[in-house]
Amino acid sequence: MPPSTVSYHMESWQHVQVHICRILGIQLIFLVGFGFCMSSSFVSCEVGRCTSNVGSTNQSLNIPPYFEKYITKSYFDKYDSLLDSDFLDFISHELFPGSCELLLDNLNLVLRLSVQQRSLIGDGSHRHLSSSFRFNIQSELIAELPIHFCEAIIIEKLPYGIFADPFELQHLLQRGVFMDAAVFGDTNLELPSVHSNRSLVEVHMDVDLNTFSRHKDGLEINIDLPLHIRYPPLEESGYSSIELGAPDLFMRCSIEAKSHNQSCLLMLKDNGVALGNGPVVWRVPSGIKAHARAVSIVTFISAILSTLSIVLTSVYYSSTKLCKNLKQS
Amino acid sequence: MDVRSLLLFSALLRVLLIIYGEWQDAHMEVRYTDVDYLVFSDAASLVASGKSPYQRSTYRYSPLLAFLLVPNSIIHPSWGKFLFSASDLLVGLFIHTILELRKVPENLCACALMVWLFNPFTFSIGTRGNCEPIVCAMILWIIICLMNGKVLQAAFWYGLVVHFRIYPIIYSIPIILVLDPHCFRYGLKPALSSWVGQGNSTQSIPSTAVPDSCGIWIALTSMFTRARILFGLISGAVFFAFTGLFFYLYRWEFLHEALLYHLTRTDPRHNFSIYFYHIYLHYEHEFSVVERLISFLPQFLVQLVLIICFAQDLPFCFFAQTVAFVAFNKVITAQYFVWFFCLLPLILPWSNMKLKWTGLSCILLWMGTQTHWLTWGYLLEFKGKNVFLELWIASILFLAANTFVLIKIIRYHTYSPLFQRLEFSSSDNDLREGKKSI
Repeated sequence: MPPSTVSYHMESWQHVQVHICRILGIQLIFLVGFGFCMSSSFVSCEVGRCTSNVGSTNQSLNIPPYFEKYITKSYFDKYDSLLDSDFLDFISHELFPGSCELLLDNLNLVLRLSVQQRSLIGDGSHRHLSSSFRFNIQSELIAELPIHFCEAIIIEKLPYGIFADPFELQHLLQRGVFMDAAVFGDTNLELPSVHSNRSLVEVHMDVDLNTFSRHKDGLEINIDLPLHIRYPPLEESGYSSIELGAPDLFMRCSIEAKSHNQSCLLMLKDNGVALGNGPVVWRVPSGIKAHARAVSIVTFISAILSTLSIVLTSVYYSSTKLCKNLKQS
Repeated sequence: MDVRSLLLFSALLRVLLIIYGEWQDAHMEVRYTDVDYLVFSDAASLVASGKSPYQRSTYRYSPLLAFLLVPNSIIHPSWGKFLFSASDLLVGLFIHTILELRKVPENLCACALMVWLFNPFTFSIGTRGNCEPIVCAMILWIIICLMNGKVLQAAFWYGLVVHFRIYPIIYSIPIILVLDPHCFRYGLKPALSSWVGQGNSTQSIPSTAVPDSCGIWIALTSMFTRARILFGLISGAVFFAFTGLFFYLYRWEFLHEALLYHLTRTDPRHNFSIYFYHIYLHYEHEFSVVERLISFLPQFLVQLVLIICFAQDLPFCFFAQTVAFVAFNKVITAQYFVWFFCLLPLILPWSNMKLKWTGLSCILLWMGTQTHWLTWGYLLEFKGKNVFLELWIASILFLAANTFVLIKIIRYHTYSPLFQRLEFSSSDNDLREGKKSI
């Protein structure tokens, strides 16, 4: 191709590139302006609280906890971290102030809970907590209660070192696996156990007591909750064992009253039936403290050796090439 | 195969992969889409509803990225993947442009281009929804702007890319050095050194030659040329303008998540870096200033020496710096490899390394040590075995492989400064090379 044609094509191509650059620049300015307009009305929100409330839109501060969409949300409005003793107090004093005593007494007669099975499925750092709960129902009594709608609320208080991914739960919600789900507490997905706090998962499952009352075996709810492990503290043995406690189970029913529907919350306790396969324990590999010194020394020696190799090679070959260039010129 | 056909075929491949990715996400347990893409999309939908993208935890990027992906919520969730894949193709186009400007023969151009377009790592990264191709495209565009003498444009895009991703800050000194007054005059198109065949270096003497003691003052004052000052001022102004704008919009959340997090990041979780196990074993106590400085020293030293030795050969300097930067970083994830993959085609025409067997041994060693690391990583993360020590040794072997490959590339590279020295008449107004540029 003759040089004049080459230079013509190159000039044309350069004009095209300038044009592309101008278009990209204009689009960039447009996008920044667009984003500026959108952001001028954004809602200020603490990251931790907002990301822990998947799907929650309830902004009211005066609604009793048992009326809120997520009954444990108000716990984290009051407390900074999850402690078993504080949570027990919260359940006793704030979740059950008492307005549905008659219904609750009747529901207690009607429903008997037995936790059937609980196990961790999978290996490694990402597993599923599979739980199965069975309720025995006295069908002749259930029809007499003015129940409009019920939902089972399962609260998993996760120990240190285990967390649920709120975005993964949102994906499951979109697929209809749960009716509702939220994570509260420490939702930082990246910190090791040492620098993190506990979290809690609240899962809602739809329950139609009238449908299930026709079944002799009663009502069974199965939940498969994806969980992940944080890097545990260092251990001499190289493994850390984390025990998952039993969940707290509630039934919240909407009852028909004269002027409006009312929500009633019932805490379901097991009948003393033992879990079929014992407590759930997650065995996690952990760093070994005895490795610390050797690892630090070898790490830095490796870094130094690599550095020296690259530095010496660069200096040698660039000087060689410089001398060659000087000789040629 | 000509460049147009290569690009068309690559575009088709990427479209098919994006479609396949959507199918896999909907029908299989393991998703094709990168987790990061879900983070970007969530942040973009927050922006679309007038909220801060930083309400999405683990979103640690400039808000610009969320703005770019707003159409994910309006048009289609795959919009971002198409945008990243288009950037990927743009990188290919820019590679071809740079090599053409340096008069590399068409067949070599095509081979070099294929190294980018048909690298499985490259075409999967954009189609899986990773945003690195945008950064790569910007960096190559900066090189093109410099080659065409467009300092202001180069400065604008450089300020923007540093705001977007931070790591390109390592290119600041080589760019300043390459704007050598002996080679680069502001307002005029510089003379590029052309490809003259493998094994033959160009005739120009590198401008980083040490001046004599009488000329040191002259050398120091001549460092502050119009081009250099303008580049520094404009790129700095652009960086601070974007940073200031987003600080105004999103306050400390933006500053912490998009900037400070990356500058102070120490991740104890397993990754390719040799430092991960050391960080995990010492995570319970804060690292002292001395410890931080010691771990930063290898990185600093390598960058400094590479800049001093190779700055004038700008594409090669960028490549070597990026490989070293990634290898010595405290955290290494697979997406960082794209940062130097996009620069590799720019240096291949100047390499004397034969594929048989030096080239092949480099490729096999690099991939082999990576696969070795991934095997131990799988046993740790998905099988729950305590293989921390083995994994850490694998990361040291990976560093050794990176060092070996970089040494080999330096050894076989034909040093070729990007710009030729300009010849001036006695009046200093009559330049013999090039024409006026914007």
